Amino acid sequence: MKFREIVDSPCGIRYLFDGLELQSGYARKVLLDREMMVDAEQIDAAGDALRRYYDLVLADRRRVEDMRFRLQGLRDISGTLASLADGATLDEIEFFEIKHMAMLAESLAMGQDMDKVIDILDPDGLKIGTFYLYDSYSVELRRLRDAVEQDPDDAQLQEDLANEEDRLKKSISEKLRPYAASLQRTLQEMADLDISLAQAVQMHVEGLTLATSGDHTEIRGMFHPGVRAALKAKGRDFQPVDFAFRCGVPATVIGANMGGKTVALKTLCLIQYLWQFGFALPVESAVMTPFNDIRFCIGDEQDEKTGLSSFAAEMQRIDRAIAVVETGIRVLLLVDEPARTTNPVEGTALVAALLLRLADKPALALVMTTHYTVEHAGECWRVQGLVPGTKGRSMDYRLVRTTSHEVPHEALNIARELGIDARWIDLADTIMKRQYE
Amino acid sequence: MPFVGEILKHRSVSIVGLAKNAGKTECLNYIIRRLPLDYFNVAVTSIGIDGETTDQVTGTAKPEITVREGMFFATSEKHFRQKRPLSELYDVGEEDTALGRVVTAKALQEGKVLLSGPSSAVALKRWMRSLKDFGIDLILVDGALSRLSTASPAVSEAMVLSTGAAYSANIRELVAKTAFVVELIRLPLYVGEEPQVRVSSFSSLDAATLKGQRVVEVEGALTDRLLQLAKNALDDDGLELVVGDFTKVFCSQELYRAFVRRGGRLSVRLKSELLAVCVNPKAPNGIVLDSDLLCRELSEKIGLPVYDIVKNEYEV
Repeated sequence: MKFREIVDSPCGIRYLFDGLELQSGYARKVLLDREMMVDAEQIDAAGDALRRYYDLVLADRRRVEDMRFRLQGLRDISGTLASLADGATLDEIEFFEIKHMAMLAESLAMGQDMDKVIDILDPDGLKIGTFYLYDSYSVELRRLRDAVEQDPDDAQLQEDLANEEDRLKKSISEKLRPYAASLQRTLQEMADLDISLAQAVQMHVEGLTLATSGDHTEIRGMFHPGVRAALKAKGRDFQPVDFAFRCGVPATVIGANMGGKTVALKTLCLIQYLWQFGFALPVESAVMTPFNDIRFCIGDEQDEKTGLSSFAAEMQRIDRAIAVVETGIRVLLLVDEPARTTNPVEGTALVAALLLRLADKPALALVMTTHYTVEHAGECWRVQGLVPGTKGRSMDYRLVRTTSHEVPHEALNIARELGIDARWIDLADTIMKRQYE
Repeated sequence: MPFVGEILKHRSVSIVGLAKNAGKTECLNYIIRRLPLDYFNVAVTSIGIDGETTDQVTGTAKPEITVREGMFFATSEKHFRQKRPLSELYDVGEEDTALGRVVTAKALQEGKVLLSGPSSAVALKRWMRSLKDFGIDLILVDGALSRLSTASPAVSEAMVLSTGAAYSANIRELVAKTAFVVELIRLPLYVGEEPQVRVSSFSSLDAATLKGQRVVEVEGALTDRLLQLAKNALDDDGLELVVGDFTKVFCSQELYRAFVRRGGRLSVRLKSELLAVCVNPKAPNGIVLDSDLLCRELSEKIGLPVYDIVKNEYEV
């Protein structure tokens, strides 16, 4: 899976992508085309590399800014380098691109043999980033240019000059060809550097942390940067929450409306993507485990555009996820309040059945929010809920493990906190208890 | 050396033709020939496809732009490869257009180029900013047919207008039409408190929205429809419409006159400086107007010198 496929995921990863201060359009393209890592060792190595850049950001911000300023000059010349590798004769524009890139790499102390490439394209040793077919490439070139200047209408001279220029382009291309692979590698490394520096700066600005890999997931103090920014704009704080899950043990999250269940699920998805694409995480600390596929089933505005009812879109989304789970690969499946738009009787049945359907899947980590009471063999977490004595205005968003799978009856509590007519609420309580008994 | 001295006082000047074959390219070449390059670094480009060897619409021969030694120019990859004097490459842009990326180079000898620079006013501005490292003193922009946006003061500081028989074959009509454009270019800057009401041509409006207002900000284009509504909403206290700049005004002369007659006013946020008007009395269909008469009549009407640079070849 490429980064571009998930950049607009409802988990909100775009907020961090947009906030990433990449210096070149090429780095942006490279990042969007990056494949998601699924190997823990590879992810840990990416994390280690990012830590070194982060340390550099803290230790020598001026050097980092200098590097980033230089990287603004990075261009996508992969097409030109492919032509060079393929044996083509390049023209002045392409020579300029290569010279520009090689000088950029040299200024960043990157790449092998960049000095040799520059020597070929800078025969006068001027050390400037411009290019033309310099007179010093051949005595004949210089002679013909002088002659054409004297007699611009002489067609034979024009032709001779064009032939000499073609011969030189061919010869310069041949001299550059042995360095094609090194140039290609260096181009990629410079894009990677741009991305890593942007990630390291973002890590500093957003207060992100690097995770370690393990055989389960355990997160302390996770937050959603996009939601946190929106809350901050309203003068409110984001309350970080803890969560843990592992393969083979389904987890449900229950709790009051407005209790942050959906945000918690979005954050879990966001964190998983960030980790597997080599970013630092919005957490206090985290042990993470990689998945081959990450499925996030949540209603979004796309459903309306495709003309599907939200129920149909949701069912189809979960159906596709089940099919992936059946292949046996490691899957993280995050489902937000399935069947919430249908009636409680069928809704409860669908949710309970989904948990049964996905039971005994050792490669599946399932986290599902729901407002239905369903018993299952996995773990149940609930939102801590209303803070007593705050008249329903303050919510404790922390998630706590609970043995009771019964959805808390927060609506009546909220009403009581708000000081609504006590007899009315007591009657509602009595009716509810009678129904459950 | 008419008006070239004026050009040198500005950082950026666009040359805009009111019609194809209105003599814009001759005007640009005229300016380039007379620039004191010994102590001035000049860059030239055009917006979008321009500088074709033959006019794509009428098939008439169209002079290419002649760049002088030491001048910077920006054109598309395609046109750079096609024709240019010996030039040193300084930059290859990132934005890809139908003709490839925009290449910025310095001419190492005098020669002809086909100019096809950045494809939009936004890209043009970006290119102009990218020149800051090359020590450029003056940027000349060849504005393409009906692409007045290059003349927007948001893009270039000053402008030279070229008009001619191709725009209208009747001297009186040509003078009136050109004078109207000049009048718009010279619209006064808005002075006053921030307007409370903002409208755009896309919003669903009726006269009631504008009724009783003294000042209304127009976002984007001022169209005939919007101006008609404003005219209908006029009362004894008058109404002032504020537009971004003259390039946002897309309304007919008749309607504008009626609006002003009834007490309406039009003002701008940004103003261009019009440096000169050049005329080409020849139209592609063979019609040739009386150059002296045209220059005199237009000059009297707009109160600014008018030049037929082809005929008079004003010497340096």
